[in-house]
Amino acid sequence: MNDGPLIVQSDKTLLLEVDHPNAEAARRAIAPFAELERAPEHVHTYRITPLGLWNARAAGHDAEQVVDALITHSRYAVPNALLVDVADTMDRYGRLTLTKEGLADSPEGTRLVLRTTDRPVLEEVLRHKKIKPLTGERLDDLAVVVHPSERGTLKQELLKVGWPAEDLAGYVDGEAHPIDLDQADWHLRPYQQHAVDGFWHGGSGVVVLPCGAGKTLVGAGAMAAAKATTLILVTNTVSARQWKDELIRRTTLTEDEIGEYSGARKEIRPVTIATYQVLTTKRKGAYAHLDLLDARDWGLIVYDEVHLLPAPIFRMTADLQARRRLGLTATLVREDGREADVFSLIGPKRFDAPWKDIEAQGYIAPADCVEVRVTLPEGQRLAYAVSEPEDRYRLASCSDAKLPVVETLAKQHAGEPTLVIGQYLDQLHEVAERLGAEVITGETTVKERQRLYDAFRTGEITTLVVSKVANFSIDLPEASVAIQISGTFGSRQEEAQRLGRVLRPKGDGRTAHFYTIVSRDTVDADFAAHRQRFLAEQGYAYRIVDADDL
Amino acid sequence: MATPSRSLADDIRGRSDAELIDLVLARPDLARPAPADLTSLAARAGTRASVQRAVEALDRGHLQVLEAVVVAGDAAERGTLLHLLGTDDARTVDAIVQDLWRAALLWRGADGDHVVRTVPEVLGTAVAGLGAPMRELRPSSPPEHADPDRIRAAVAEAPDDARAMLERMTWGPAFGVLPTSTPGRTTARWLLEHHLLVPVSTDRVAMPREVGLVLREGRLHRSVELTPPDIEARPVALVDAAAGGAASECLTHLDELAAEWGAEPPRVLRAGGLSVRDLRVTQMTLDLDPEHTAFVVELAYAAGLVADDGEVVPVWAPTSEIDEWSSSEAGHRWATLAVAWLGSTRAPHLVGRRSTGTGPANALGPDVQWPAIRAIRREVLRELASLEPGHAADHTSLRRRLAWRRPNRSAAVLDEAVEAVLRESEWLGVTGRGALSEAGRALVAPLLPPPAPSARGGGSSTTGVATTSNGKRPARARADRAGGAADIPSTAQPPPEAGAVAETVAAAMSAHLPSPVDHILVQADLTAVAPGPLVGGLGSFMRLAADVESRGGATVYRFTPESVRRALDAGWTAADFTETVRRSSRTPVPQPLEYLVADVARKHGQTRIGGAAAYIRSDDAAVLDTMLASRDLTPLRLRRLAPTVLVSSADPRVLVDLLRDNGFAPVHEGQDGAVVHAETPRRRAGSRRRGPGPMVSPVDRPYTQSLVDGLRAAEATADQRRVEDETRPGPRIQAMDPVVTLSLLRDAVADRHGVWIGYSDGHGATSRHLIHPQKVEGGRVRATDESGHEKSFSVHRITGATLES
Repeated sequence: MNDGPLIVQSDKTLLLEVDHPNAEAARRAIAPFAELERAPEHVHTYRITPLGLWNARAAGHDAEQVVDALITHSRYAVPNALLVDVADTMDRYGRLTLTKEGLADSPEGTRLVLRTTDRPVLEEVLRHKKIKPLTGERLDDLAVVVHPSERGTLKQELLKVGWPAEDLAGYVDGEAHPIDLDQADWHLRPYQQHAVDGFWHGGSGVVVLPCGAGKTLVGAGAMAAAKATTLILVTNTVSARQWKDELIRRTTLTEDEIGEYSGARKEIRPVTIATYQVLTTKRKGAYAHLDLLDARDWGLIVYDEVHLLPAPIFRMTADLQARRRLGLTATLVREDGREADVFSLIGPKRFDAPWKDIEAQGYIAPADCVEVRVTLPEGQRLAYAVSEPEDRYRLASCSDAKLPVVETLAKQHAGEPTLVIGQYLDQLHEVAERLGAEVITGETTVKERQRLYDAFRTGEITTLVVSKVANFSIDLPEASVAIQISGTFGSRQEEAQRLGRVLRPKGDGRTAHFYTIVSRDTVDADFAAHRQRFLAEQGYAYRIVDADDL
Repeated sequence: MATPSRSLADDIRGRSDAELIDLVLARPDLARPAPADLTSLAARAGTRASVQRAVEALDRGHLQVLEAVVVAGDAAERGTLLHLLGTDDARTVDAIVQDLWRAALLWRGADGDHVVRTVPEVLGTAVAGLGAPMRELRPSSPPEHADPDRIRAAVAEAPDDARAMLERMTWGPAFGVLPTSTPGRTTARWLLEHHLLVPVSTDRVAMPREVGLVLREGRLHRSVELTPPDIEARPVALVDAAAGGAASECLTHLDELAAEWGAEPPRVLRAGGLSVRDLRVTQMTLDLDPEHTAFVVELAYAAGLVADDGEVVPVWAPTSEIDEWSSSEAGHRWATLAVAWLGSTRAPHLVGRRSTGTGPANALGPDVQWPAIRAIRREVLRELASLEPGHAADHTSLRRRLAWRRPNRSAAVLDEAVEAVLRESEWLGVTGRGALSEAGRALVAPLLPPPAPSARGGGSSTTGVATTSNGKRPARARADRAGGAADIPSTAQPPPEAGAVAETVAAAMSAHLPSPVDHILVQADLTAVAPGPLVGGLGSFMRLAADVESRGGATVYRFTPESVRRALDAGWTAADFTETVRRSSRTPVPQPLEYLVADVARKHGQTRIGGAAAYIRSDDAAVLDTMLASRDLTPLRLRRLAPTVLVSSADPRVLVDLLRDNGFAPVHEGQDGAVVHAETPRRRAGSRRRGPGPMVSPVDRPYTQSLVDGLRAAEATADQRRVEDETRPGPRIQAMDPVVTLSLLRDAVADRHGVWIGYSDGHGATSRHLIHPQKVEGGRVRATDESGHEKSFSVHRITGATLES
């Protein structure tokens, strides 16, 4: 029994003791194939999944390395069944390959062929109802023709039956367009360069970098490598603008070469940035902007925040398999569990940042998260108890008891830029009135909003009350204190994203504060429990205090 | 060597004491009930049931030689046997023949070896896939049809399609349905005309044995395997560490099972067993796959740690033994499980299987009882033990070896069972990474034969091994059926004390179990990680106070409001709770956890619930005051809940009676508050408890020794009587053991001999008949009597028989 920092569990999770002297070595050894699931302060949890193992395989690691990493760093004997399973799973990748082969009778013509090294595997997959129709003529025992339009769907289906195909069929070059990095006053960080190289060699795939580690620059680097027209798909307009600014600043591209394709503008230029939302907008039951995908002969497609990629985009992506695709994300874990589609349609993981290195560079700053619990007055408790389930959340969230707490907190942080975030408009107006602050909601005009933000940025006003709609769709300024008075039903991912925006590392090194005010013994508290777990798993410090103790 | 004998009985009478003891140990069914004398012993050894059991216990090598002896016919040359077997390994064949003789499947006459008459019956008409001999298929056919030279000539001139048809039947089955197509019929007709096939009914044909043998070029088996096939083994590292890890995890599973079932015991189904739903609940709790869960449950049952509590509404609950077990040292805990598993006749891998006509088998239910699994389990472990330490067996070759050992078992069933046993031993930690662990070796050691067999020297080592296992298997089969008697090694040494084995096993495992840890790491996401098995007290606290999220070398617990509430329900206070966590944790207790405990404690006990059998309510509080004050009503243990409400734990009817006796005038209120009149209750007795199963003592060496002594004594008496009988004139019919009668009648059928029988009629009067038996079957004898009429006699009415002189 050695005294390693790693404990391998029978449910295929790996527990890594962070304070162990060898923890760093163990982390490096398991990072290629295991996904970090939870990172609280002492013991981090990684999970081994087939996708993770195939990702490792695609990155050139073999089963022996994985088994060796587990055995070397594990404190206890690793269950044999798990080792066998790891080897078996990894062995499944690459038994099938998609290749482009020339035709004997016409030197120019090529066709897409699914080839195997192992005949029974091909026989097995061809027997599947959903796979058979995607293939054409059987060439010999080990190969079958695939229609080029089914390249994506076939990879998806093959992955579903556990035989992921390695896509070696190559890519079209697309319409060439000169793009270079303008590295006059800055340079790609080494890990960013590695990420670009990793992607370019793999041809297509996902680069995983934590928030703030410069994913946009990796995108720019990839574009400079491709030197071709590029379609960039992003989550929202704010992000689109950021991309545009960043590209103008860091590359040789000028403003005229970059188009924005969103709800507001419909420009198609050599580099076009489109939002997921506009692509998935339906008119009369059909996707209205599907033409964008074929508007130019794109040489590269960049997907920002792959873990938020909406389902229809997957379907569209299935038809774009001949184009190079770069996915950028902070995590491969998707709330909807469609990690497999990312793997088969965008591509395997091509680069995963050594998390600790980036942290050491000061990109991830801890924030102080405090949950303040208020007790509902008796009358409201009764009203809550007899209310319909669908009204309960509103009742609990909008309790009057929260108002004095907001005031107290605002007073405590007087002078610091403070955002009060809520979901219900009457509640927001009431808070704003009490604090003497301005409110920004979805109804606020752009001009007014811009004015308030500018005033907030310059420190002219220190407190702003914003609605969920507002903080989601606009370029929210940074604050050092955020007070959430009513939460959302949204996914934890979404919430963390928003938190991340507010809790950017501060220039002067001050700690950011995040308060949530929660009504005790209600569904509000249940949601808060989820939030607490998620934040603690992300490594944030979390406290719970009673309103009376403030 | 014995003097030449005329029958099996003669042969057996001529055996030495040591040989008799070997025979009885090899076939213990002969000893139960104890036979009266050597003649009955011989007769019993010739019965179909006993021979069947002996033949089923043969490995493929012995079976193939036995088949060859049967096909070669009585008193065959050794050369014939070797030719049939297609081998020149005379030593091995001789040793196997000697084994078969020792097991009384052959007897030795002056002219050579004879097969016991029931052996061909047991083997069936298709010995080694061959058809019946020509003479049996067509008694009317001339002998030259069976002549090998004629057959060879006929085959040589057969058309291609006819030869193809013959080839299909060569290696069995030697029967076929006549083809319906015209060309097929023509081919078949050609074969029938040349007597290479023989019609057995309007549409079926058979291939006579002689034809089959010619086509097989005189060989009986397609492949002859007189010696066991090799097991391929590969060296593996970290065997004991892996086994220790598995063992530790297995103990954790049982602790969790005990905690779960102790709190909420699942119901016992009416047919016995655990419902599918309850098994699934347990599976969720343990977070295992269904088969593994069934294994854990069955293991707990086999080790006597859970049982049907036998109450009116029976539930599966941890037994009182579990407390002692839980507090023992981990190695001993494991040894208890391992020994129980080894001796268990339950097959957890059958749980969930659908047997014919019933639903899926329930865990702990009767369908999972499968005595054969015990023998298979031991056999698998024995084979693993035969490998070098630290070597894992290749499963395919291991299955092939076991299939060789038990050629009569269905290969699919056996393979499945072997795989299940291998999985279970891995889960339990008897093996680690496929190789027998040190503790596993200690567990299996008592089952292994000693290095050199004491009774028989000189035999080649291969056959020595074959003999030993061959000799042992019927003993085991017998013990299995008896349901729990110890396994009997066919060696002189008594089996080691069970307690001593457990000690050795415990010591062997203790060294490799991960050492228990006394601390946890508590984190802000409300999880606690135990980086190893927890020491007893802390382990039970954590199981109570938190939910298990992940298992393995470490355990991840999560504190939830429910789990904290559970601990408070069990009597913990918030302060104790937090203090225990603080003391056990190597990391500071995160504030949210303290808050959680305090928050749950705040609400805990806000509402109280109690049980009462009856209430008394009255608008006049003074009346209730009187009742409370009354000394006569003290037995009712009245308690005041509110000014106008009292409760009592007595039955409402008792309450009404007693209050009336004391001068009150209460009425009985129903659930809706209306006054009701009591009905006379119907009485029921509790369900009858089932007693323990029958216990059977094993057929061991001391027992056998005394048995043989008894037989010798009886034989002496019988000899004396025989001498007396011979001096008397005329045929005398002795009362005989029915099996002796039967074998005599069978002999008479075979030899076409007349027999005198004593026959008792419906009134009990006994008469004597001279009959010529023709057939013995279904408990009846068909025979022609003195007057030449065909008659049928019930065997059970024949008091005795003697051959016509």
